[in-house]
Amino acid sequence: MAKVVKIALAGEGGQGVQSIAEILAEAANEEGKNALYIPNFGVEQRGGVSIAYVQISDGAIGAPKFQRADILIPLSPRAVKRTKMHAGRETVYIYDNSLVQEAEVNDNIVGLQYNDVTPPCPAAGEPNPGSAPATSVTAPNKDLPQDMIAGDPKTCSFTAPGPGVNPADIPAEVKKVIAIPANDIAKEELHPRVFNIIILGAVIAATEVLPLDSIKKALETKLGDKFKANPALRDMNYKALERGYQTIKGAM
Amino acid sequence: MAEVSLQGEQRVFMTGNEVVAWAALAAKVDIMYGYPITPQNEIMHYWTRLAPKYGKRFLQTEDEISAGFTMLGGVMTGRKAFTATAGPGNVLMQESAVMAEMMRLPAVFVIQQRGGPSTATVIYAQQETTLTAFGGNGEGHRIVYSTSTHQELFDYTIKAFNAAWTYRFPTFVLGDGYQAKMREPLTIYDPGEKGLELVPTEPMVGENKPGKQFKYLRNTYNTEDELYEVVMDNQRDWDAMAPKVVEWSEKGCEDADIVLVTHGVVSRAALGAYDLLRAQGKKVGVFRPITIRPFPDKQLLAAVQKAKKLLVAESAYGQLLKLVQGALYGAPVEIVPVLRPGIGITTEELVEEYNKL
Repeated sequence: MAKVVKIALAGEGGQGVQSIAEILAEAANEEGKNALYIPNFGVEQRGGVSIAYVQISDGAIGAPKFQRADILIPLSPRAVKRTKMHAGRETVYIYDNSLVQEAEVNDNIVGLQYNDVTPPCPAAGEPNPGSAPATSVTAPNKDLPQDMIAGDPKTCSFTAPGPGVNPADIPAEVKKVIAIPANDIAKEELHPRVFNIIILGAVIAATEVLPLDSIKKALETKLGDKFKANPALRDMNYKALERGYQTIKGAM
Repeated sequence: MAEVSLQGEQRVFMTGNEVVAWAALAAKVDIMYGYPITPQNEIMHYWTRLAPKYGKRFLQTEDEISAGFTMLGGVMTGRKAFTATAGPGNVLMQESAVMAEMMRLPAVFVIQQRGGPSTATVIYAQQETTLTAFGGNGEGHRIVYSTSTHQELFDYTIKAFNAAWTYRFPTFVLGDGYQAKMREPLTIYDPGEKGLELVPTEPMVGENKPGKQFKYLRNTYNTEDELYEVVMDNQRDWDAMAPKVVEWSEKGCEDADIVLVTHGVVSRAALGAYDLLRAQGKKVGVFRPITIRPFPDKQLLAAVQKAKKLLVAESAYGQLLKLVQGALYGAPVEIVPVLRPGIGITTEELVEEYNKL
């Protein structure tokens, strides 16, 4: 029976966990593996924490959701609390220990039922903050259905200095705990928009089920047009991917 | 996203709602009638995206009652038509579903179950099993396919149109919010290229050609005896059809002490548990009705001849259980229910329940 790798990602609405999960699952599918991705959606998410479940295997995949994750990645202090039930003895636990945290947003969009509304795209902003549209952090992305989100500027991700993850909230009995300051790296070295791509690199390094190149291909499929228009975006995304990958590789 | 086409076989990775829209296209559906409700909205969204490209049509109605009845209108004129709904929308559509039973109209309903009762959750449940199989003021003269993978969602949506137009009973594809929203790979194809024949449609009203028998479609009767004859005729047709459309799947039941009985997406957890437990040398089997209506009574009874216990697991409080109990009435096997209304059941939970026995 083929092993099934179970990955759960959780974050604030708009942090991009669903995009990471989707890219990951699509890359696995392109590699000829079986992959299953399901977002949790529904009114229960009003708290703003969004969870994505991904399973990858060479064989059949059972139920769409699972109890214990092989890789659990909560990306905000609230997500750490919300995902405790998915941590088990075999879980590799990766969390973001940045000084800068994703702001807590009671996301009306992800929070209700529009899980098909795309979270902020990593290429939506410009690599050079000077040339970034002034509205990129205060207004919804232009590709979102504007009428559905009128008056609700909460669909974009933004960060603020926060209390950070309380070490007491980290489950004690897991296989391994790895901290990655992804928000800090994104903000200081790259661009806040590629935060989720750093995480994607980290997931690849931790799971070892897919080569990094498969993710690059998947990014190319998803963002190819934007990359063509601005090759610097491709470099930045690749750099973020490598950075996340190397950080975890060093820690494993 | 790569361009998807129905030419040749193509492996795709998509959500279940998208799968249904593609399957309807593959089945050469003419028109969808619909009213939005989560978690089936994207069936409409994808259909409306595909429809103009393929010369297909779509009508959004004012509610589910009218979506159901406009579909019946379409069907009467010979259009291959379907609708999709969930939860409270499924409740409203039962009125048109029983009219289809009475008039023998080949209407196709795709149901993506959400939590109940009432508005409940937009997420997931198996609480529309009884409703979908026996809803409305009638005898459940219908066909209900309960799918568990995206491949099945594609295959059985195509099959539903064929079954409906062959037997002239309303036909349901019973999915759920998980199947609607999850993504997994499947192979889509043109049924014709695979040698799968699509049952042709024909108008039931408005045709006065020579040789064409005028059909008076009725849903109102004046006397008890008149109604009795009609219902019994339909019952006889339904009984004759049942063995031809009944479907189930089973694994390892020959030597199993314990058989897991599930339907729909929960069957994935059962298969996962089966693999894990068999790897440990446990004598476990799985049985799954694919048609909830007609229910594979005889097949279930035969499959559990050697079993000591049945573990019946569902995301509802006893809807599958009742069907199983009905099928096994008098059989000496003990039934242990795992009933979780409105919540998913994982592989790990089924293994845990098994270990408690």
